[in-house]
Amino acid sequence: MHPVLSSLRALSWYLLAWLAGGAAFASVLVVSMQTPWVNALWFAVPVCLAYAFVIPSAYYVCRALPFTRRRLAVGLVLFATASAIAGSIGWGLCLVWNRFSRTLELDWAVIEWTHHTGWALFAAAAGVYLLSLLLHDVMIALEQMRDAQRRELQSRVLAHEAELQMLRMQINPHFLFNCLNSISALTSMDAVAARGMTIALAQYFRQTLSLSEQSSIPLAQEIAHCQCFLDIEAMRFGDKLGIDIAVDGVAQTAQVPPMVLQPLVENAVKHGIARSTRAGTVHIKGVVRGAWLHLRVDNPVEDDAQSAQSDTFAASSATTHGAGLGLGLRNIHQRLQTLYGDRARISQHVAEHRFVVELALPFTTTGAHGVHSP
Amino acid sequence: MIRALLVDDETLARRLLREYLQAHEDVKIIGECDNGFDAVKAITDLQPDLVFLDIQMPRLTGLEVLELTQRDHGVIFTTAYDQYAVKAFDLHAVDYLLKPFSQVRFDEALARARRLMGQPTAGLQAITTHTTGKLERVLIRDRNQVHVLALNTVASVEAQDDYICIHAQGKSYLKTQSLSELEGRLDPTQFVRVHRSWIVNVGHLKNIDRLSKDSFVAVLHNGQQIPISRAGHERIKALI
Repeated sequence: MHPVLSSLRALSWYLLAWLAGGAAFASVLVVSMQTPWVNALWFAVPVCLAYAFVIPSAYYVCRALPFTRRRLAVGLVLFATASAIAGSIGWGLCLVWNRFSRTLELDWAVIEWTHHTGWALFAAAAGVYLLSLLLHDVMIALEQMRDAQRRELQSRVLAHEAELQMLRMQINPHFLFNCLNSISALTSMDAVAARGMTIALAQYFRQTLSLSEQSSIPLAQEIAHCQCFLDIEAMRFGDKLGIDIAVDGVAQTAQVPPMVLQPLVENAVKHGIARSTRAGTVHIKGVVRGAWLHLRVDNPVEDDAQSAQSDTFAASSATTHGAGLGLGLRNIHQRLQTLYGDRARISQHVAEHRFVVELALPFTTTGAHGVHSP
Repeated sequence: MIRALLVDDETLARRLLREYLQAHEDVKIIGECDNGFDAVKAITDLQPDLVFLDIQMPRLTGLEVLELTQRDHGVIFTTAYDQYAVKAFDLHAVDYLLKPFSQVRFDEALARARRLMGQPTAGLQAITTHTTGKLERVLIRDRNQVHVLALNTVASVEAQDDYICIHAQGKSYLKTQSLSELEGRLDPTQFVRVHRSWIVNVGHLKNIDRLSKDSFVAVLHNGQQIPISRAGHERIKALI
């Protein structure tokens, strides 16, 4: 909707301006044609008020073919045609109103109409319309500029949020403090193991930092990172945690966004091993089928723990959209969507007492798959 | 002699507690638990004087353990990083140890617990009654068993004298709580009080039948039929 027509306040001011325009038009008639004032006003004001409602159509003409998307010639033809049509309408309005006034047979209600008058009126109406077209063009361009600025600001805020989220993921406070506590416990019991865990922890955080600086890494690196994480967890959980990693040779070379698997593996340990009272194995699988890289992480679930797991980690029904996913999965889903759009899928389900998360990404061995650098 | 129970899901963390406790000969460790369910059972059966309780644990959190056992004395929390839980209650009212903690800090907490031995503390009472905050799941204790019900599986709740009867997944569970108290902690866009003694989960609603001009009944997907009062009808109509 045209901004002037959408608010009553704006419309009143607009019509008031046209009232003044009508008065100015009348004075032109008085000066140029020696028309008496009453006749000039009677003729000019209603015509101007009526024409005021023709002018806003320029907004739609300009919007239909915005400044940035039209060539000069097309623009000239468009503006000339639109102005000519509007001019004819203005001329028609004048003619009809004057004919009507003549039927009233009042000597103060008509103006003298010559061949010359008709052309002048047409030219004036067309000129005003052309001016309006140009004004609208500027207005729309400004509006688009503001919109672009707002969008840019918005995307910058979103990028910052994503960065923060990434940072929090990198620091992983719960994991860090639990590890420090384990080390603290080990120092008096098993000094060698304490040192081993310190080194493993340092390595894990160093890897996290260097990986997240890159926009995409070979899957082999991501797997190595997961392995490093699992080594630490194995020290904490002992025999309770079994690990089975099966990634085929081609898949190892696939480029993936960093930290795409690690959160899944961490969740698998948290929900499948830590939460369980029994020992269990976390499986990590990676295969390439055609143009797709399929990744799968699964962990055992106990029947009675299932509802709790679905609650905290993910909803019970599998879905490829963000809606039904838990926070951990939703973050990954969001990241994948910004990187790949609809060309990546993530889903999760429970089958045969195992909680399964599956990812499908376009398979590529070069870094350039539209990944934005952080 | 102080009888202590250690609750933590990590072996190493429990071993550390054990080590720190060696310096205190009057404290005897009567049990260890590595998950919330076992902790509930152990606290009820053994009635320890002091519980070292981890907050983030498998299946039930430390806070849920307290809610289920209604224990309001002799608890020292241990937690690695749980900003939400720590913020949720008054820091001065409850003692908690942030992992990793030193022997000195541990001894302080123990000394404090010794002074307050057997006395209920306001901070713990606030956790056990837990009257504020939205529920994420419903916990029910049934003698030695604990049921954890996800809210979306709860179809309806009925008030019965001093109990409420929760209908979920084709079963019924009794819990000592008032219907209004539960209602206050449920999401009002999902659960509606349709009657003085009934709450219905809108997600389980199949249809509303009109019995007579002013009398309605809610039919759920599980076939259950639930009376609707006039005020209840207004409320559920506003929601669907």
